[in-house]
Amino acid sequence: MKENQRRLFLKTVTSIPILGGALLAVNVILRYFKPTAVGGVKGLVAPPDEAGSSIQIVAELSELQNPWDFKEFIYIRKSVEYSSRKIQGAKIPGFVVRLPDQFADPKDPKSKYLVVQRICPHLGCTFNFVKSPEELAGGYNYRPPAPTHPYFACPCHLSVYDPTRKQDAGLVGLLPGKVVSGPAPRPPRTMSFDIKDGQIVITGTEGGGVG
Amino acid sequence: MVKAIPYLLRGLLAAPASFLAWFQERWDKMDLFDESHVQEARSNPWYSIGGMWYWVWMLVIISGVVLMIYYVPVTDQAYHSIERIQFNWRWGPVPIGAVVRGLHKYGADAFIILATMRVYRMWFTGEYKQGNELSFIIALLLLIIGMYSGLTGYLLIWNQRALWATKVMATFPTYLDQNPAWLPGGTLINLSNQGKTTAQILLGGTSIGPATVTRFYAFHFMLSFLPMVFFELRVYRKGFKRMNISHWAKLAVFGIILAMAIMVPAALGSPANPEVTPNPILSDWYFLAMYHFLKLQDPYLATVLTVAIPFLVLLAMFLDRRPERAWGQRQIFNWIGIAGLIYFVLFSFLILNGIADIHRDAPIWYYSMGLFMLIGYGQDWAYVMKRDGKPWYGTFHLFFVAFILVAMSANTLYHYFGDIRELNVLAREALPRVLASLQQATPAATPDQAYDWMEKNRPALNLWFTHHPGPNKPPGLELWRLHVAAFLAIIAAGTWVGLARWGRDQEAKAALAAAKAKPKLKTGA
Repeated sequence: MKENQRRLFLKTVTSIPILGGALLAVNVILRYFKPTAVGGVKGLVAPPDEAGSSIQIVAELSELQNPWDFKEFIYIRKSVEYSSRKIQGAKIPGFVVRLPDQFADPKDPKSKYLVVQRICPHLGCTFNFVKSPEELAGGYNYRPPAPTHPYFACPCHLSVYDPTRKQDAGLVGLLPGKVVSGPAPRPPRTMSFDIKDGQIVITGTEGGGVG
Repeated sequence: MVKAIPYLLRGLLAAPASFLAWFQERWDKMDLFDESHVQEARSNPWYSIGGMWYWVWMLVIISGVVLMIYYVPVTDQAYHSIERIQFNWRWGPVPIGAVVRGLHKYGADAFIILATMRVYRMWFTGEYKQGNELSFIIALLLLIIGMYSGLTGYLLIWNQRALWATKVMATFPTYLDQNPAWLPGGTLINLSNQGKTTAQILLGGTSIGPATVTRFYAFHFMLSFLPMVFFELRVYRKGFKRMNISHWAKLAVFGIILAMAIMVPAALGSPANPEVTPNPILSDWYFLAMYHFLKLQDPYLATVLTVAIPFLVLLAMFLDRRPERAWGQRQIFNWIGIAGLIYFVLFSFLILNGIADIHRDAPIWYYSMGLFMLIGYGQDWAYVMKRDGKPWYGTFHLFFVAFILVAMSANTLYHYFGDIRELNVLAREALPRVLASLQQATPAATPDQAYDWMEKNRPALNLWFTHHPGPNKPPGLELWRLHVAAFLAIIAAGTWVGLARWGRDQEAKAALAAAKAKPKLKTGA
């Protein structure tokens, strides 16, 4: 009995450094797989000029005169990354939507326009601007309530966002595009913009997600 | 309970050594491709699955290596190189490239089917018992590796389906960084960015790009080829027969895959376009059920559960500790298997038909899961009563049943009577009527106001926790606290009673051993 216990104790004591060594080896192997990305977006908001992104014009106000007019655009967010060029441009699709006046603040001319990243905050698919309630009900399993209007809707997991309502998105505050159906955890990511000479100009993008 | 403590401590001290002994026994017994079931395979086709599986694996590797010669792993050429393989690589009227690609694709599908069938065979016949746990673990691991190899493989085509499947697959680990603050250590895990790092390791960067294709190409080949090398080394050392099937069986399997490849040429899809997600967008067939699973709940929960599925299967395996292997004598575990199959088929059907409502469907399947467990438990209870000849209360597992009932009530009540705005099924159904009546008074009434009205006029019994404490929300009992308390109490009481029983058993065993050892000592002296 005693002999057994001594052997057991010795076995236990010797197995600990062996296990530790094995863990270290696994750690080294896993580290090899981690890409040597040096940039990417850190924090909540990506600055517009990281790696020299220029300020990009995405829409003319003349294109967005009537309520629910919208325009799709691609914003290129450049970030420093490991590649032969040292820079990777992530293409971020976006939407500009002209909201009806009842949803806008009359004192603030910018509040008539909703600018969002078109990347679904759920799992990264590109969502659509759906105008017909039949398409919403048939394709996205969401039947909008009576005074109906267009919605953002994602084909991957059927999240539907209401551009007229706001939702608390934690650290980033109250955002337009409340999730009204589907698994999305928060409203779409935003873009900050300015109106200059009748044009909508993107000045920054909210970070996060996989491009 | 107190009696169990010395035995527990002794067990803990001996854990590494006893684990090594446990592992050694299983390592020697390990059965990877039914190579130890040569006799059974002659009369029972279920036991030739392993051999067929390995044969299909070889076919996939060989056809894959042939495809590698023409495939160009660069984002802007990948799709065209596949087109060239599919249409331009011909020998007279014979489309060789299309057939080789078909062999690779349908071979891979057959691989997944056979791997799944083998896991199920092992599960339903309790083959993991009597020291065969490692065989089951490896069978499950190979199935997961096969699925991951499939995922990395179909991105190489660089079509729409592949791009969006990869995006979903690479984004979902990032939710591992979003543990809620109330979880012990949750914030610490969030700060360590494990999820984001995982996504970067998968993609080779922060987005899907050229590095991803190279990386997936490497993973795709490595994951398929390395296990085969290990198996071949084992064959070489132990000297058993590699495949337990006849040459005719091999020819038949090859013939079926070849016929599929010729009759239904493998699809190409449309080239990947990161700017447009088509509707509907689906993954490969074996991921459909999991893809649907993501539609049914909060992404954090979905991520944690998806990662947990294989571990839960292993947990269930280790909980099945009775020696019985016959079908009628382990009904709980049969029902776990049957439920898995039902969910797989049902979810795949639902996603193909685009039926998914997070508010309506999630509680149904949560509820059904509990129901399956209760049915299984009922049958098992009846069996144990009969086996041991005990009265009904003598074999009833109070804590197990209570745990399932509390879990079922928590989910269902939350969805049906919970927060008016977010998850309450009844409120969502009432919304159009309330809105219509409000609009009679003021035409500009919005759904928000309708929800507010309901909140104001609901019975003053606010049982549930809510994320959105509104001005109209009455303070309530918050029954979720009672549920958490009930869960913890059940787990604590169950552990206490179980450990006490285990301690008594250990003591009785030790006493028995001592009684046996004593006479020997006397005769020796």
